[in-house]
Amino acid sequence: MSLTVLPAGSDDFTDAIGTRRELVRESARRSLVRRRITGRIAIGLSVGAVAISLAPLVALVAYTTSRGIRALSWDFFTHIPTPAGIPGGGISSAIVGSVIIVGLAAAMAVPVGTMCALFLVERRGRLAGALRFGADVLTGVPSIALGIFAYAVLVGPGSPIGHFSGLAGSFALAVLMLPIVIRASEASMRAVPRDLWEAGLALGVRRSRVVRSVVLRGALPGLVTGNLLAVARAVGETAPLFVTVLGASLLVTNPLQPMGALSLTIYSDGTQAYPAAQQTAWGTAFVLLALVLVLSVVARLVSARLTRQARR
Amino acid sequence: MSTTLLEEVPPPRLDPVEGVKEGLQRRWARPGGRAYAVLRWTGATIFTVIVVGLVVSLVASASQAFGHSGLSFLWSGTYNASKDIYPTGIFIVGTLITTAVAIVLAVPIGVATAAFLSELAPKWLAGPLSVLIDLIAAVPSIVVGLWGLLVLTPVFAHHVEPFMKKVPLLEWFFHGPAYGPSMLLAGTVLAVMILPIVVALSRTALTSVATEDREAARALGATRWQVVRTVVVPGARTGIEAAVMLALGRALGETFAVAMVIGNNYALPHSLLAPGATLGSAIINNFGEANPGLDRSSIIGLVVVLLAITVLVNVGGQLLLRRRLRAAGAAS
Repeated sequence: MSLTVLPAGSDDFTDAIGTRRELVRESARRSLVRRRITGRIAIGLSVGAVAISLAPLVALVAYTTSRGIRALSWDFFTHIPTPAGIPGGGISSAIVGSVIIVGLAAAMAVPVGTMCALFLVERRGRLAGALRFGADVLTGVPSIALGIFAYAVLVGPGSPIGHFSGLAGSFALAVLMLPIVIRASEASMRAVPRDLWEAGLALGVRRSRVVRSVVLRGALPGLVTGNLLAVARAVGETAPLFVTVLGASLLVTNPLQPMGALSLTIYSDGTQAYPAAQQTAWGTAFVLLALVLVLSVVARLVSARLTRQARR
Repeated sequence: MSTTLLEEVPPPRLDPVEGVKEGLQRRWARPGGRAYAVLRWTGATIFTVIVVGLVVSLVASASQAFGHSGLSFLWSGTYNASKDIYPTGIFIVGTLITTAVAIVLAVPIGVATAAFLSELAPKWLAGPLSVLIDLIAAVPSIVVGLWGLLVLTPVFAHHVEPFMKKVPLLEWFFHGPAYGPSMLLAGTVLAVMILPIVVALSRTALTSVATEDREAARALGATRWQVVRTVVVPGARTGIEAAVMLALGRALGETFAVAMVIGNNYALPHSLLAPGATLGSAIINNFGEANPGLDRSSIIGLVVVLLAITVLVNVGGQLLLRRRLRAAGAAS
């Protein structure tokens, strides 16, 4: 085939372009049916995947809800558990324990996490990179390892507390929450426009004041959301509490003593063969599920609402 | 009256930029600025102490077991009061098998679901479904475990496992009696646990692919599916891989949800229908009864092995992602 160079703008050139265009159009038309069929099949398969993935998830939530609601009563929230085999009783000790343990964990993780996030935002270079990398790796550390860590430093022989306690569980959960808080806070602080920082600094305002009234304020929706999601994650954990808090059926409010927790009740009652105990486990699972879902929904709403206010 | 004052004492004429700079420096030197710096460094120091302390205290607590059996800890070790010897290797194999089952089940379905929600579904359907899945991603693993124990176990014992045994060509994977609690059930429960994580994170990755890229592909005559396959999924590959890494880490380190459905049999599994044990399930099943001393130390040894596996997977994955990102940055 000989190669001829057509001068641009000539009639021959226009004709050649037209022929080429026709060829492309023709081949596209010929393959269109095949491509459409492939597309249909692929879309059909992905609809199937959605059905397969939604079925167990919805079944899980629906079943837990329907079994759990039946267990609920006023006594269920206000009474402590009865010994195995005796009907009645509630999970007040587990609810109080979970609230105290997670509350203390948040009180430890949120300030430290926010300070770390400020460090990451203010500093570039190797040190910040290493800290960020450490936070990412810590996110992937199994929660049982964090529990055993808390056991080793707070519960085990020779440690400051020396026995199972709510505080040790809080510490384990705080370590679990820390990387989540750090990365979420850093991301939302970075989202505050650089101009606002500079405007504040150019006014001669102290740097800590700029951070407080410009950066932290601007990042507030992200901070609240990140912290709430970290709390939601911590409240559902079982393994770190199992090796630190131990569980208690009496109502304990002293965090230096072993305490109850919702997740521990689900495990201890759910693995018993008595229907009454399983009923309690479903009820507790429903309470925990509702708590976690409410926290997640509130996190989203707060974020959406504060973002809207900030825009105004 | 005030005018005369101004005339008598003219204000010092500073270059405005200089003035701001000087003001900043003055403010910076005040204790307020220092306190802020101290605050940041305190946070970073606490974090570093925790991370270092985590590794040091775990390794120190396990040192007795490691010192006692050395590297042979991986194929022998004492775990319970009756001094039975179980090789750590069994638990490692169990952990890898259940995680593999979970990944095989959850990742293709999860990514396909994410692709549907992000690209193919009409908006009225995609919005609510995405929120629903994001919310379900927060369901605690203990609830999934309870559901697996009380609902899935009988279903698996009477229907799923007998059925899998009849599937041709898969005899090597599925043979032996169908008890219910098994590697397969544990993997399935893990899959249900990580599925919403995979969907939620890959959906975010898919939606963040630039609209211009999609439009360009459409303008070239690609069908919607072709856009997804050739533009969107490759564009979101890094994000999808990150989602899978996170899900993998969760599956490897899960304890209670697995312990409730795996049957806790300390033997090398010969089939996916056989009950078994993972590192996580063995740790929590034996930690309570372990006597202080060598017993407890060898359980903590299991924790160190689990930690090493998850950290290796995590660090490996992150280095891979970073290198890919850098390569992509250099190419563009």
